[in-house]
Formats: sequence, C-alpha cells, structure tokens
Amino acid sequence: MSSTVYKGKSGQWAFIGHRVTGFLVFFFLLLHVVDVSLVNIDAELYNEVHHLYGNVMLRLFEVGLLGALLFHSLNGLRVVMVDFFPGAIRNEKSMFTAVLALTGVLTVVGGYVIMKPFIEGRILS
Amino acid sequence: MSRRLEERPVASANRPKLERRPRQNFETWSWYFMRISGLVLIFLALTHFTITHIVYDVVETDAQFVADRWSNPLWRAYDWTLLALGLMHGINGLRWILDDYIRVPAKRVVAKAVLYSVTGFLFFYGTLTIVTYQG
Repeated sequence: MSSTVYKGKSGQWAFIGHRVTGFLVFFFLLLHVVDVSLVNIDAELYNEVHHLYGNVMLRLFEVGLLGALLFHSLNGLRVVMVDFFPGAIRNEKSMFTAVLALTGVLTVVGGYVIMKPFIEGRILS
Repeated sequence: MSRRLEERPVASANRPKLERRPRQNFETWSWYFMRISGLVLIFLALTHFTITHIVYDVVETDAQFVADRWSNPLWRAYDWTLLALGLMHGINGLRWILDDYIRVPAKRVVAKAVLYSVTGFLFFYGTLTIVTYQG
C-alpha cells in the first residue's frame, strides 16, 4: 500500500475533500431524520432533544456542517462545470481556489450568526 | 476484398476500445443522477440551512415551528424532496466510496447491505414522519 501513494495536487485534494464532506453531511442527515421524527412521538421530547442543538458544542458542530455543506456544494458545482463545459478544465485550479475562498468566507459569516448568542454572552454553555 | 481490409481497424492496444460502443448502463445514469440531483440539492439544502440556522436561531425551530411549517403541504413536499434526493445522492456517493476502499468482496457485500438497510429504513421512517404528522 505505502509503495503506491499518489501525491496529487489540488485536484486530488478537491477529490478527498468532496468525499470527506459528503460522508459527513450524509451522516448528519441520518441523525437529523431521527431527531425530527421525535416530533411525531412526543412534542415535549422533541423540544428537549432539539434544545441541545442550541448549546455551544453543537453550535460549533453546526458551523462545521455549514462548512462541509458549502464546500461540497461549491466543489460539486466545479465538478459539474469541468464535466459539462470543455473550456472549464483550463481554469480548474483557479476554480478550486475560488471554492476554498468562498467556503471560508461564507462559513465565517454564517458561523458568526450561528455563534452570535454565545459571542454576545446570552448563552454560557 | 481490398475495401474490407481498409475498414478493419488497426491492430493496437486501443482496438477493444475502438470497437466498444458507448452504452447507457446503470453507472452512466448514476453519474448523471449525481450531477443533476447535486444541482437541485445545492438550492434545497442551502435554503433549508439558511432558514433553520441563519434566518431563525436553531433554538427557535421547536415543535411549534414544525407545526407552523408543516401546516403548509408545500413545505412538506419541499422537506420530503430534500429527504429523498439527499438520501439517494448520499447512498450513491457512499456506494462509490465503499467500492473504492473495501477490497475484500465479502466485506463489501456486508458494508453495502448495512448501507442500503439503514438508508432504506430512514427513508421510510422520514417519509412516515412527514406524511403522518398531524401537529
């Protein structure tokens, strides 16, 4: 195995990033189906479990989810462009840079909104 | 006779490739499906996330929020489409990942059986939640 490690460049990192973020988002979706289903069993139970999403640890998890979702979306768009527009492959690298930059900026902006109750000291834990 | 000879492709390593006609098999459709469902999901998932985490704070999306939202059948349709496309896009992506990284056939069969069972069950369970919810 170790003799055949492919040391790829940006495209290889995009590929790995796409798999990892896709995997993470999919597993969140599986969890999310279960937590939402509680609303049909007992609304109070749903509220209690749902309230956990408001604590700091899970808010950080949500920022991570947003980052994964954004990277997977934007890189997916890059993949579609490379696949369907023959000219796009020439700009593949700069598009990957744009994917990273947009993911970073939008995650910080969205992350600020998600973490705002904590930043303003309205929730402590 | 000479004409027939001209029509024959050059014997080379590429010969089987030249003779193979493109066929639309399951993998072709799954390739297209990932791109088309992906484009739809960018809109559905990012809108959903923006509403439930940016427009509203996450603690505001309680049982009352669900009741208000699901009183409109269009929101149920939106959520169900997101559920169905998300799970299908995810199950196919994970199938590719399992095919790539699990090299022992028996292990791969087991892993895929688990993936299909869990995803299938959650598709059924999630659909049940959206359809049977009465507020």
